Amino acid sequence: MPADLLRAEGLAAGYGKVRVLWGAGLTVGAGESVVLLGPNGAGKTTLLKVLLGLMPAWAGRVSLEGEEITTWPSDRRVRRGLAYMSEIGVFTALSIAENLAIGGQFSPPARLRRRLDELYAVFPDLAARRGALAGSLSGGQRKMLGIAKALAGAPRLLIMDEPSAGLSPLFVGQVIGILRRFHATGLALLIAEQNVKFLDLAERVFTLEGGRVGFSGSVAELHADNALHRAYFGLGA
Amino acid sequence: MLLHALLGGVVFGCYFTLIGLGLNLVFGVMRIVNLAHGDVLMLGSFAAYFLFHLAALSPLSAAPLIVIGFFLLGLPFYYLVVPRLAASRDAEMLSFILFFGVQQIIEALAAIAFGSSERSIPARVLGIGAVHLWGQSLPRAWVISALVALAAVLALYLYLYHTRLGLLTRAVMASREEARASGIDIHRVSAIAFGIGLALAGLAGVFAPFMLGSITPAMGSTINLAAFAVIVVGTLGNPLGTVLGGLVYGVGLLMMQTYLSAWADLLPNLLLILVLLVRPSGLLGRRVRLA
Repeated sequence: MPADLLRAEGLAAGYGKVRVLWGAGLTVGAGESVVLLGPNGAGKTTLLKVLLGLMPAWAGRVSLEGEEITTWPSDRRVRRGLAYMSEIGVFTALSIAENLAIGGQFSPPARLRRRLDELYAVFPDLAARRGALAGSLSGGQRKMLGIAKALAGAPRLLIMDEPSAGLSPLFVGQVIGILRRFHATGLALLIAEQNVKFLDLAERVFTLEGGRVGFSGSVAELHADNALHRAYFGLGA
Repeated sequence: MLLHALLGGVVFGCYFTLIGLGLNLVFGVMRIVNLAHGDVLMLGSFAAYFLFHLAALSPLSAAPLIVIGFFLLGLPFYYLVVPRLAASRDAEMLSFILFFGVQQIIEALAAIAFGSSERSIPARVLGIGAVHLWGQSLPRAWVISALVALAAVLALYLYLYHTRLGLLTRAVMASREEARASGIDIHRVSAIAFGIGLALAGLAGVFAPFMLGSITPAMGSTINLAAFAVIVVGTLGNPLGTVLGGLVYGVGLLMMQTYLSAWADLLPNLLLILVLLVRPSGLLGRRVRLA
């Protein structure tokens, strides 16, 4: 197993007086691809937001390469190599090029230019319309822009919240293909999903139920667990 | 007479744009309503007044000092007040109450410090004689005030659309949530926008003696009403839409003063009611108003 890039232990968090996370924890190794499975309301988005510093942790600890970052603001975490793609993922009122510039806001200009050239080569649809407003793109194209934006800063770990939401199976396949491509260059992934197609990418799986991590292990171990297999793949799978 | 009213209206429109500009920027970035905007403008007027009478500094020389000073005052004020306000459940409504209180305090302190008598700066300090345009003559001070206002609009446009911080500011205006998720330090961006908002109000205050008449500690409330009419007409949350709102207001005001002078004071209320009835999202209407 690779050395831990991100580690979360015993996280508690919630909204107002409603507690959503009850001691959740997970780890993502450097260059590792991790999928966080869980039904609606399990606390996946909350957990990701706490990891990014978008919500405070009521208890527990988050560390990046061994350094505690639990109370760091989100911009400091992004500077240190974390990137987050929310379900929305883009600024619809800004152009494609502006979205990407925001994604790469902490990169020196020359490096950002090189990175954008790389990204435009991977996303030719975006390259052709770089001056267009993100709001004029289709749902699938927005998702691609969201991925490109999150990658513009050349992060070490990309954290994604339900990248399959609202996408056709065709686009889901494309998203997985693109993520696989960047993962092969050393990008670590943490993907919260309900769609088990994303397990194709996973080197390790965590399941989140009722704000707690239930299972952690490889995809093969998930399949070997009858109850979990039934829960996530159905009886006939 | 019509041409004179129209030309004067455009000149006043430029100035009213400057009055609304900072208020709209602050609303667009922070979704809070600075009800003390008119009173900040009043402080700018008094600063210009004292710099002129005590330090013999002409308003054009005082303007950069006041812009910088008000910007610098805005930063600590932002960090003291706004992050706590933004964390509350109904920040917009609370901002009304809080800034109403701030407005009252500023007005009361100004009345104690400066007294309630009317003060002015003679218009001749901006040059003597009229400016002739298409056969019409306009006071030089009006034209200079309008040119300064246009320069401020241009500067804000360049900031928002041609600088890195401006891009981040527009990102925060587009979605605070997504901005945070993208790693933008929204408090830094907002504090700078708040400072710019105060600086623009201060700058508008420097030229108020020439455009709005004498200055008093109580002038803020009237100015607030005009500023609200301008930004509601021009679309709340869209700083550059303020230009359209300012022009509609300025031309409307001069037309009313020319043809229906007894009714001219009703203009801001009329415009607000009309826009709210006919096109509640403002003339540009790209953004949904939350307030």
